[in-house]
Amino acid sequence: MFALRGRQSLKRAVCHPGLTSLRSPAGAQNPVPQDDHTPVKMENPYRQPEKGCVLCSTAVDFKNVQLLSQFVSPHTGRIYGRHITGLCGVKQRQVSKAIKKAISMGFMSVTHKHPQFMRDPNICNIKSIE
Amino acid sequence: MPRYELALIMKAMQRAETAATLRRTVETLMERGAVVRHMENLGERLLPYKISKHNQRHTRGSYFLIDFHAAPSILPGLLDHLDRDVDVVRPTVLKKDTEVSGKTCCGHSRSTSQDTARK
Repeated sequence: MFALRGRQSLKRAVCHPGLTSLRSPAGAQNPVPQDDHTPVKMENPYRQPEKGCVLCSTAVDFKNVQLLSQFVSPHTGRIYGRHITGLCGVKQRQVSKAIKKAISMGFMSVTHKHPQFMRDPNICNIKSIE
Repeated sequence: MPRYELALIMKAMQRAETAATLRRTVETLMERGAVVRHMENLGERLLPYKISKHNQRHTRGSYFLIDFHAAPSILPGLLDHLDRDVDVVRPTVLKKDTEVSGKTCCGHSRSTSQDTARK
């Protein structure tokens, strides 16, 4: 029985010559060499700063009708969806709420965009009227 | 006391009448124990849509913003009073947030400010 086992262990050692070093107990016979290639824990050096949406650093207010009008259709006055404006969840909801507030308070129109703001730069991914 | 903002839209009038209406409004506020903090004139402009109020169709209006501190109990009475005022087209009282919520947008950390940006 024991002789069989011994032969098997010998076989294993012969079959996998490259792994014999790993099989030895850690640090018992081979001390850790100077140039250790194990990974060092550090923050990702290739990490890029997180890109925010267009309004990340701006406060959204119902009085700022010009800003709010940029997220509204010039033809119908409808509020653009998230897939068009490109805003993040928090800001999209704030803009939507502010537009509805401004409309109900008599600051912004329901069915159109103020003609004064028609020439404003286009933020949303939609072609405006030329 | 919580801080409120009154967005007042008055009908287009002469300067003297506008001043009289404003004075009346602020006096009403002060009578009810409000502390008026700041008043802003946003100018006279064309209304975004025609508003019918007090048997009149209004096309132009003058916009004013009144910042005040008041107890919440005076608000229903105040709104009732403003609704009855013939010169006022649309009064709206809003609560003003003094603390910016800690929620960050897109992972950007925002510095906590005392006031909402009103620029």
